[in-house]
Amino acid sequence: MSFLQPILLIGLPLAALPVIIHLIHLRRRRSVQWAAMIFLRAAQKMNKGFSKLRQWLILALRVLAVAALIFLVSRPLAGGLLGLTGGAPDTVIILLDRSASMEQENLESGFSKRTAGLEKISEAIRSTVGNRSRLVLIDSARVEPLEIEEAEELLDHPLTGETGTAADVPELLQAALDYITTNQSGRTDIWVLSDLRRSDWDAGGGRWDALRGGFASLPGVRFHLLSYGEPVGANMGVVVDGVVRRDTAEGAELLLDLRLSRSERAVEPETVPVRFVVDGLGSSHEVEFRDSQLVLQGYRLPIDRATQQGWGRVEIPGDGYRGDDVFHFVYDEPPVLKSAVISGSPEEVGPLRAILSSPADPSRRHEVAVFAPERAAEIEWDETALIVWQAPIPAGDSILRQQLENHVMAGRALVFLPPEGGDGGGFMGMSWGEWDTGGEGEGVEWWRSDAGLLANTQDGSALPVGELEVLRHRVIEGEGAPLARMAGGERLLTRAVAEAPGSVYFLGTLAGSGSSGLARDGVVLYALLHRALGEGARGLGKAQQRWASATALGSDEKEEWKAIDGREGVLRSDLSLSPGIVQRGDLLVALNRPPEEDRFEAVGRSALDELFEGLDYQVIAESLGDEGSLASEVWRTFLILVGAALLAEALLCMPARRERSVEEGRMEEAA
Amino acid sequence: MANPSKHEYLDSAVLGRLMALPLHARTAMLGSISGKHRSPVKGSSLEFAQYRKYVPGDDTRRLDWRTWGRSDRFYIKEFEADTNLRLCLMVDSSGSMGFGGVGKTRLDYGRRLGGTLAYLAAQQGDAVGMWQVGDRPLEIPAKRGSSHLRVVLDQLGALEAEGETTLLASLHEAAEKIRQRALVVVISDLFVSPLELKSALQHLLFRRHDVVVFQLLEQVELDFDFDRPARFLDMEGGEAVLADPTMVVKRYREAVRLYLREMDEVIATTGVDYHRVKLHEKYDDVLARFLLGRTPKRAAR
Repeated sequence: MSFLQPILLIGLPLAALPVIIHLIHLRRRRSVQWAAMIFLRAAQKMNKGFSKLRQWLILALRVLAVAALIFLVSRPLAGGLLGLTGGAPDTVIILLDRSASMEQENLESGFSKRTAGLEKISEAIRSTVGNRSRLVLIDSARVEPLEIEEAEELLDHPLTGETGTAADVPELLQAALDYITTNQSGRTDIWVLSDLRRSDWDAGGGRWDALRGGFASLPGVRFHLLSYGEPVGANMGVVVDGVVRRDTAEGAELLLDLRLSRSERAVEPETVPVRFVVDGLGSSHEVEFRDSQLVLQGYRLPIDRATQQGWGRVEIPGDGYRGDDVFHFVYDEPPVLKSAVISGSPEEVGPLRAILSSPADPSRRHEVAVFAPERAAEIEWDETALIVWQAPIPAGDSILRQQLENHVMAGRALVFLPPEGGDGGGFMGMSWGEWDTGGEGEGVEWWRSDAGLLANTQDGSALPVGELEVLRHRVIEGEGAPLARMAGGERLLTRAVAEAPGSVYFLGTLAGSGSSGLARDGVVLYALLHRALGEGARGLGKAQQRWASATALGSDEKEEWKAIDGREGVLRSDLSLSPGIVQRGDLLVALNRPPEEDRFEAVGRSALDELFEGLDYQVIAESLGDEGSLASEVWRTFLILVGAALLAEALLCMPARRERSVEEGRMEEAA
Repeated sequence: MANPSKHEYLDSAVLGRLMALPLHARTAMLGSISGKHRSPVKGSSLEFAQYRKYVPGDDTRRLDWRTWGRSDRFYIKEFEADTNLRLCLMVDSSGSMGFGGVGKTRLDYGRRLGGTLAYLAAQQGDAVGMWQVGDRPLEIPAKRGSSHLRVVLDQLGALEAEGETTLLASLHEAAEKIRQRALVVVISDLFVSPLELKSALQHLLFRRHDVVVFQLLEQVELDFDFDRPARFLDMEGGEAVLADPTMVVKRYREAVRLYLREMDEVIATTGVDYHRVKLHEKYDDVLARFLLGRTPKRAAR
């Protein structure tokens, strides 16, 4: 145990005060000349039992109360966190959620959840462990273990800075598990700093079982979860859903689809100044907010006719979460939304073609190309945003497979549908298993509604995934993030976990051929495919919208990217992590926070208990308003100890009820 | 007769009031002279006792000639003898007898009791003696006469409470030393073991003494009504005791109750004339009660 004010421990001998006072009182007690010593001695002799013990108890409780009081004011930093439960561990791993939502800050103190949490963890480690343990930092943006020398480094280390990314907490824990297993790190304390966003924690995902099992098999691993689950006050955010440039009679203009939202549901109408910056020139416009959400469709911003390509941002007044007060955008001639369907089955092609050629956005051109599996090489790789592959997966050394991988690495989307026969091997850790036709009209039991292809719509309505009927499906093998599960727990839709800008999905059933109701109840399939198309389309054209992440700009070409829009201070290696505009050649990319970072649903305590069931863990729920150190937990413990000791002392000192006099006693005896 | 006004602890008014109540012995006394008390031997009072056969050597003046005339046998007519008693005051002067306020100590109370009794006894012609029970034992044999009474009263007035009690030893010693039957009045707090006291009292009774016990107690000694912890100093020089009254009062009262119960058994067994006196009681009331209690039930001659 260590103390923030160890100097005050000098006063610990004061704990002997009650004993000293007791001894002084013994000497200073008034003296009474007494004759009936025969009775007093007899009483003393009879009084040996509990009464004697009570005196010692009272004295001990007084000593305890004073000692606890001295410990209290010395601000101990251990109890329950590190020290009291067995000294310094061999290794301390800090898992840092660097997602955009961690930048919510207390406007009075200027501390964000990330900085406040780092400050507290740093202080706790410094005070309790010092330099006795190996410190390892794993952040959510890079997910790479990095050893650091001192806890103070956490405060200004480049890997603990602000980002506009999302976080994948299971991935972080997996990285910690891998590190412990690989390095045999001995007794390990794992600190997790997070704001418990449901989208970041993926509590329903299938990786938690493996993680729990992995950690449970390791002896001496303890978790300290420092959580900032509470949102910070009132918040207002802005999102640009679409940008279209078009020529007009006067020149040209941008049509912006804006969405403003605020956290309070029933609040007074409010006028909000919205600032638009296009190619460095700003203008303001006031909008009136009457509800919790305000959608501005086709908001016009005049631009120079000669300007074909450019960038801009929309800003609203800053609040506790500055990350969602700005949204960056780029514009150019919109590319055609091309998709390719690879299938040998006309039954399957029909609904897919119909859906993909039906424009979700009327201002965009949609094209669908259909190829038989043997003609897949004819895909226009550079211009296709989405490939729907319903054929055996190409073998590992084929050119076709290499082209598919390049397609994903270029940030496009790829959806695998189960082939009727053969599996052709795996792709990015995923592969097809056997067909399962046993179920009669199995339904979908669970799907991820907060993010991914089956997420709720913008107005919060859920897709009718639960109404789907799946008659036959093919088992999806390999590790991936499940997006939908059937009643038996089998995965229906899975996203491959790959370090690539693009997305790879495995859908376990077919739309046509009577395999499922996907084609009949086309809403789910329509949303699924157009969302995948939208993800893939981000990698098309010369003006692209991407979500900030470590792989948002590709993995090997960071040196060629340069920041515009005033982000000179950002490290070149961190360009892809923070929102803004980056440019490479004539390609403009607007990086923004992922949409799930605008959702404030947090994982509840009961869900956390389930996630960490069977593990040694402790949740320290903090809020930005709490400026005390983590040691306050112990401080309270000692305060309770003082109170309990004083209460017990008072109870023991309480005078006994009136004793009957000798005469009364004799009369009762006589009676 | 000694002048009561010379002894502060004697109150003339009380003496005058109590003078009307004679002091009687509950058993026959063997006095040296004629007095108011019954004697085991036959004497010449007016109260007929018995006839017995004449034996040579009997005083022929006591022959009952009427009986000789009727039966032609010689009978001696015997009458009860009245004699005086020997009042032997045994006054405890141990340290514990000093308990109480200035001028109101237990010893002061005992002094008034004893002094008044001595005066009353002397007034009716009885012999008065005194035993001082304490570190400095003193024996004044029972004698008649006002000058002797003065000596007793002077000695009684000079008593000081000090030292340990020697009550039990003194009672045994008195039982051995007082040769003739006497009225032994014990004035003490009796802070001794009741069982041992029983043995000493039985010793006195065995010697055919009429034993009276005045146990003097203060109410606070029974109730132990203190509110703060204190150091209790033994008035007889023993080890002091630190005690928190709130914590020991229950046991203390239990101890007192046990003691009194045992004392009651001792009194019931031995049959001594026992008087438990609280120091707040008026001593003349106590004495009046005592004297009245000893008045013979039959009509006085």
